[in-house]
Amino acid sequence: MYETVVLQYNIGMQDLQKLKDELKAINGEYAGIRDVPVEERAEFGRKLNEKKQSILAKIAEVEQAAIDEMVEPIDVTAWSGVNELIPEFYSVTAGSKHPLMTELDRVIDIYQMMGFDVIESRQLDDEFHMFDSLNFPKEHPARDGYDTFRTEEGLIPPAHTSTMQHRVLKNFKSNLDEGKAIAVVVPGRVFRNEDVDATHEHTFYQCEGVYVSETCTLGDMLGILREFFEKYYEQKLNIRTQPGYFPFTEPSLEFMIEKPKALGGKKGDFLEMLGCGMIHPNVLKMAGIDPVKYHGFAWGGGIDRLVMLRYGLEDVRNFESGNLNFLREF
Amino acid sequence: MKISLNWLKKYVNVPEEISNEELIRLIGARLVEVEGVIDETHKYDNVYVVRVESAEKIPDTHLTLCQINDGGTELIQVVCGAPNVREGMLAVWIKPGAIVPASVHEDAPFVIGKRKMLGKYDSCGMLAGADELDFGGKHDKIAEINPEIAKPGDLLADVFGLNDLILEIENKSLTHRPDTFGIIGFAREVAGILGKKFNEPEFLFKEEVFPEGFLIETKEGLSSVSSNLEIEIKDASICPRYTAAVIKVNEATEEDKYLSEVKILLAKSGMQTVSKIVDVTNYLMLLTGQPLHAFDYDKFLSVGDSGSPKVVVRNAKDGEKIELLDGEQIICNPSDILITANNVPVAMAGAMGGKNTEIDENTKNILLESATFSLYNLRKTQMAHGIFTEAITRFTKGVPAGGTFNVLAEAVREINGKPLELCDKFLNVKPVDAIKITTDEINDLLGTGYDKELIVKTLENVGFMITFVDSKQIIVETPFWRTDTHIKEDIIEEVGRLLGYDNIKPTLPLHATANKNALFTLKSELRDKLSKLGANELLTYSFVSENLLKRANQDLKNSYKIVNSISPELQYVRQSIIPNLLDKTFLNEKLPVEKFAIFEMNKVYQKNWGLDEEAVPIEKIHLGFVVAERKNCETAYYKAKKYINKIFEDYGIEVIYSPLKIKTAETMPFEPKRSAEIRIKAQPDVLIGVVGEFKKSVKNSFKLADYLAGFEIDLETLLANKSHEHKITVTKKEKRDLTVVTEGSYDDVKNKIEKILSDNGVFAKIIPGAIYLPENSTKKHITVHLEFTNYNEDVMQKLENL
Repeated sequence: MYETVVLQYNIGMQDLQKLKDELKAINGEYAGIRDVPVEERAEFGRKLNEKKQSILAKIAEVEQAAIDEMVEPIDVTAWSGVNELIPEFYSVTAGSKHPLMTELDRVIDIYQMMGFDVIESRQLDDEFHMFDSLNFPKEHPARDGYDTFRTEEGLIPPAHTSTMQHRVLKNFKSNLDEGKAIAVVVPGRVFRNEDVDATHEHTFYQCEGVYVSETCTLGDMLGILREFFEKYYEQKLNIRTQPGYFPFTEPSLEFMIEKPKALGGKKGDFLEMLGCGMIHPNVLKMAGIDPVKYHGFAWGGGIDRLVMLRYGLEDVRNFESGNLNFLREF
Repeated sequence: MKISLNWLKKYVNVPEEISNEELIRLIGARLVEVEGVIDETHKYDNVYVVRVESAEKIPDTHLTLCQINDGGTELIQVVCGAPNVREGMLAVWIKPGAIVPASVHEDAPFVIGKRKMLGKYDSCGMLAGADELDFGGKHDKIAEINPEIAKPGDLLADVFGLNDLILEIENKSLTHRPDTFGIIGFAREVAGILGKKFNEPEFLFKEEVFPEGFLIETKEGLSSVSSNLEIEIKDASICPRYTAAVIKVNEATEEDKYLSEVKILLAKSGMQTVSKIVDVTNYLMLLTGQPLHAFDYDKFLSVGDSGSPKVVVRNAKDGEKIELLDGEQIICNPSDILITANNVPVAMAGAMGGKNTEIDENTKNILLESATFSLYNLRKTQMAHGIFTEAITRFTKGVPAGGTFNVLAEAVREINGKPLELCDKFLNVKPVDAIKITTDEINDLLGTGYDKELIVKTLENVGFMITFVDSKQIIVETPFWRTDTHIKEDIIEEVGRLLGYDNIKPTLPLHATANKNALFTLKSELRDKLSKLGANELLTYSFVSENLLKRANQDLKNSYKIVNSISPELQYVRQSIIPNLLDKTFLNEKLPVEKFAIFEMNKVYQKNWGLDEEAVPIEKIHLGFVVAERKNCETAYYKAKKYINKIFEDYGIEVIYSPLKIKTAETMPFEPKRSAEIRIKAQPDVLIGVVGEFKKSVKNSFKLADYLAGFEIDLETLLANKSHEHKITVTKKEKRDLTVVTEGSYDDVKNKIEKILSDNGVFAKIIPGAIYLPENSTKKHITVHLEFTNYNEDVMQKLENL
């Protein structure tokens, strides 16, 4: 934590009377409106109101400060209050872990077991990482403010964990020099500017995967993804794909699994799990990796959906509700 | 996008052994996601073509008593209310018991029966209008069938091939494939998927509609010989090509009134029938993916007021106005593209035509446009003005410039009018992409073993032109409609996709082991620990409201502000975790939950932390924790401290709790008199977090019960100071209690005890006990439990003298 002092405007108690006097004076000034020409009365009233509101706000602040002032200090080095018992922890039965986080931990464990390094995605990033480094042409439709949030500075709360791809490629490039593959997954929180309903959240979790080596193939990508989902659902699975489109992969695919039996799946019932593809040579080039010598693949998919399927949940809004009636079920 | 399977099959021959189900699966696996299939195979059961043999007006009503011939031996009596019913016409009859096709997908489908009209006329079934047949249009007359294509008793479904499956296509994954937004392009892909060469419709390559000698080539495109029609494109980057023709339109013919295949195809694709000319332009768009627009030529001339036709394509001026066909007044942005008649706006390019040049029943001549525009500009137009026409959907994918002329020529033929003038401006001609690639490059990326013949055939089937370099290398030339293939990987995608990604064998590469991420491991351990201590993990939004920041006493200016937030509730990036937890405390106290501890571990951002070496904001991962009880008069601070201290103990981190002095965003909600800053004992300048109760004003503003405390710590600092040492002592411990009467703090007592112990080389663990303050006294009795590993009576004596 940085020790930057936040300056705060504070007014002492002694000012309270002064403020109250000022308020009285203003209330008196209202009478003067009769002497003001008719056409200027509106403006006169508005200015007076403004002044009054600002004084009222200052009074509220002083009164708040007065409330805080009355608080008794305690000995913060002690372990109990005076004439009180040392408090107990709550019972283990009341405790719970967030289901999204429990599952994210499982996802990470499986990938780590499969030899993937893990880094967490950022929650505030820039245009370069979110778009430029991912081969989005300038002014590509996905860039305009309709799907992506932006801050006053032009920073972007990322809409996908792919915002970390460039960093992963750059930071793990040394693996390639050592004759090893880049094998990294990036879980994290992402944001989309869309209306919330039972199946849509503006805030959700994704997990990105990046793999680069001299010899890897699209077949390897399918193998790794199948392996992951088979470990996650603890059973053999049928997989399927569907062509997709992302500027940062070529070819691009959607990856599907046959709904696991444990989740009540029937034959031929396929679920879209994630988008994936062979990393576009421009993306490798941007990170200083020779796209002739090396190729790679990447994927990214939602975690929320995995969890909803696993627990049979129907309303995604529960996740960020903070409602203990929901959370204590886990 | 909706695709009629029957229409599709007119352009691609699907072998009998491939069922519709299999065909749809293949389309899904190798071209695009099929979101749904609308089954229309029984929609027109019991709907027949009939002849009206007699039609008698029923006096004093708008009704007509008809005797109809359904091809059987007896005539059937039907009462009809439509003004256009007349003797001798072929009409469409819905038999009793059948469902009105337009209501098939409604909750309560409308079943036709036999009934008595006006109390005396039996009416059997219904003569249907195009709208009732689900072909759109107004509900003002019954549908009429051309006697040249049907006879009484024919099933309507057989006449027009209505037993169909309609595919609902997810457009998003075809963002880069404008060519597939027409049936022809879609069919080409299906042929490729089936391993067959696509038979290109001839008109895509020929221009024979025009009389010999009508056209000449100019350096900017084709033109009719004696042309007054002038096209000026102000900026080739917003309009790479603009082709237009002036066509004299024929008078309406008898045939125009009949139900036609074009009208039905439009309806199946989700479009409305408008007029013959508009229908043709829409039909050709659905067929080829090239949108067309028809202006009333005479209105165009009068709007331009220049005597000779001049089309000017340019960016709109800021604030320039145009009234569109749907009556909407649009105030333009400079990124909008306008089609103008001698600079007077007549259409928003790619989006919609203008009201001032709308064609109507009096239109004699039309100016027909076939062009392509910058998809980036049109995307902005689409979003800024909320225009989502079929045309702009296609233009925003980047309609290829190569096809405008031939589609225009086909339109001239379909409209069957007389071409008067033509002008084609093609300024932005792009060279054909020729990509060199080897079979090894393809197989190495896909993980396949496809031979050269198969690869070449697969590419040629969908229109790529192949030249052979040597036994391994080929050169692939892309056809004009493929705007998306430029590099080797694009060709590899085509091969992999058309031959089926699902035919690629999943394999597992061998690679090195990974390192565990320490921060994730820490977070995982913390959620285990805290949940076992009865606390509940929460996730809350990273964005908060101005109001929340203010209530938590934090400075708005220290938060990154979202400019396009969904609501004021989500306008600022949070600076710390606690304010969200206080908000959720209110929710849970209201439920009500009597007592609880909640925590969240997540990233936070503060502007005053600045940027990192990548020039993005410095981020931190915090653990925030709040404990709350609705009824408890004790001091909540010590509960929160107990939780945080357990974490420090478990990780072997010695910390100091000292009265809260510093002011940071994290500490702002805390009451300094009842809170402590937490520092690492070995490095007191390292602040790890804050624990305490909240300001009374904060509690009030969140409307929270009095028993409330929490902490917020930095997890990277925790990780950095985590100790791996774990001292285990197995010697027998001597236990003693010690009570000290003092006005000082607990730590004062503890420090004194520690001093005596260390001065005498005695080691004892100090465990806090009770603190008792007798009535009318200012001196507290502080009790600690001591666990000696080397007990010494003298030292104990010294301690008791404290």
